[in-house]
Amino acid sequence: MVIDGVTKASFDELVEIETDEGERRLGKVLEIGFGKAVVQVFEGTTGLAITGTKVKFLGKTMTMPVSQELLGRVFDGLGRPNDGLPDPVADKFLDVNGEPMNPQSREYPTSFIQTGVSVIDGMLTLVRGQKLPIFSGSGMSHNILAAQIARQATVVGTNEDFAVVFAAIGVQYSEAQYFKRSLEESGALRRSVLFINLADDPAIERIITPRVALTVAEYLAFDLGMHVLAILTDMTNYAEALREISAAREEVPGRKGYPGYLYTDLANNYERAGRIKGKSGSVTQMPILSMPADDITHPIPDLTGYITEGQVVLGRDLFRKGIYPPVNVMMSLSRLMKDGVGEGKTRSDHMEVGNQLYDAYSRAQEVRALAEIVGKAGLTGVDLKYLDAGDNFETHFLKQSPDENRNLDETLSRAWDILAALPEGELTKIKDKHIQQYYKGNK
Amino acid sequence: MSLNSLERTLDKVLSQKESELISEIDSALQNSLKNLESSKSTLQVEYDAIIESSKKQAENLKRQIIGSSTLNARNKELIIIESAIDEIFTKAKEKLAQSNNEKNYEKLLTKMIQDSVSKLGSDIVIQCNKADQKLVRKISSQEPTGKNMKISVSDDFLDIIGGIKATSVDGTMTLDNTLDSNIESLKPLIRKAIVQLLRGEKK
Repeated sequence: MVIDGVTKASFDELVEIETDEGERRLGKVLEIGFGKAVVQVFEGTTGLAITGTKVKFLGKTMTMPVSQELLGRVFDGLGRPNDGLPDPVADKFLDVNGEPMNPQSREYPTSFIQTGVSVIDGMLTLVRGQKLPIFSGSGMSHNILAAQIARQATVVGTNEDFAVVFAAIGVQYSEAQYFKRSLEESGALRRSVLFINLADDPAIERIITPRVALTVAEYLAFDLGMHVLAILTDMTNYAEALREISAAREEVPGRKGYPGYLYTDLANNYERAGRIKGKSGSVTQMPILSMPADDITHPIPDLTGYITEGQVVLGRDLFRKGIYPPVNVMMSLSRLMKDGVGEGKTRSDHMEVGNQLYDAYSRAQEVRALAEIVGKAGLTGVDLKYLDAGDNFETHFLKQSPDENRNLDETLSRAWDILAALPEGELTKIKDKHIQQYYKGNK
Repeated sequence: MSLNSLERTLDKVLSQKESELISEIDSALQNSLKNLESSKSTLQVEYDAIIESSKKQAENLKRQIIGSSTLNARNKELIIIESAIDEIFTKAKEKLAQSNNEKNYEKLLTKMIQDSVSKLGSDIVIQCNKADQKLVRKISSQEPTGKNMKISVSDDFLDIIGGIKATSVDGTMTLDNTLDSNIESLKPLIRKAIVQLLRGEKK
């Protein structure tokens, strides 16, 4: 929408549009100059007439009213109540673009978050303040995994408050209902804030949704001292909306038509995670993105991977085999795991067991490839044991029910069950004292 | 073969068979006892697993029930508070609507007109409600912002509790300075103050 006769508007300024029938909509200034302002209307321009439409520049950027009352509430993509309840009473109004964290004040993340999902807790441990994305593909079970993590995530062994901020970006109505129901039925909604932007909502609203969600996450973490897990799904829809708006603004397109500032824009969102010295709370981010055509070199996963601290990759082969969660551990990594596990944090054997599982599964993959050529008969006894360990890993450790919440002891116990199939001499990543204590195989 | 030797042979076979059978029974008994013993530990593991899973289920159920009850109670509180807020706003608006005879109200309208002129220029059209028209005309005629102004008061009345709406003569710009719109823009702050009073957080 282009407005004439504008002299004092600012970039990103919020605009209120009133139709001649009295309906009010919101928009934001995209461009200004030559006495004109280009405004993107959040609710879309359908039904707006040239005559009779009034525009009010609100003199401020978009803000989100925040307070502890937001917990247990469901909002739309712009932060308006979507649960039939009144507007929350605001403690503060915060700019949705957030304030950058002073790098000097950042504290290195070192504390464990238990998700109840074995493969994540055991091998790709999530640490408070980390940003760990899930790279998925179209039709895979990333939404089920996201909902499971939202329901189960917790900080173990402390009385510190834990909250989940869940932003569903450009999702279908059925998916939105699934997320809502899933949190309601598990009783996790009371410690969660849910933002739902539907696929048929205007593109500009999709740009706002993660910002609104992260604003709330920052408030809960740094004002109220809570440990917050922000789950953003699906960031691919966010990037698509960014491309759509960029094209409408006639900007020079970059890779695959995405704007050249896609990296900066994604970083603006992803960098809103972390811990701050002197404050007790933390914002941990788990953005989820579906890779178009499962292509990990696509600009969205590619740029995301540069910014975040590792990635959890879901594999099409495992998904087709009916394994949930279909995490391809060989392509996945949590860069901060080493600092968040071990003696005094989780369990002293945690890191070593994780490394040994990586080693065993990687050998199992090689043996599987070899068996396809020479057949099982051509394998050595140790190879066969690795083959068994690989199968066991997928069925006993990786695979779990979407409502199964495994604590860390159970996860590590399952890991030791798998390692029991291997001869003791093969456990080269684990210290002797831990083998003595936990190894269940024949010594 | 004599009858005696046949009997002896039969006895021998029978006793051999008997001892075989007894040994088989013994061994079966031993096997059964062994199986029973090993089953005990398997059963114990299964029993523990069932108990553990039931405990988990019970814990989940407890969390669900507590979670949804707390949330329901909180949501009901929010609805009650909101209806109280609505009532307070309605009463406040009624009171404001009756305040146009007060001296302060004339001052407020004067300030609003001055504000409109400074923002929209000296040539403006003012709309107000029917009850305020006389007062607005009086203030406008007193040239509140100096001379060379052209303030006209419209006969097209607004359905508002008070204040004015000023429009530039070309109709492109409007300044909504009605009490209704001011209340609306300050509503979040007023709501917060009301909630604090209702919850006893502020006196």
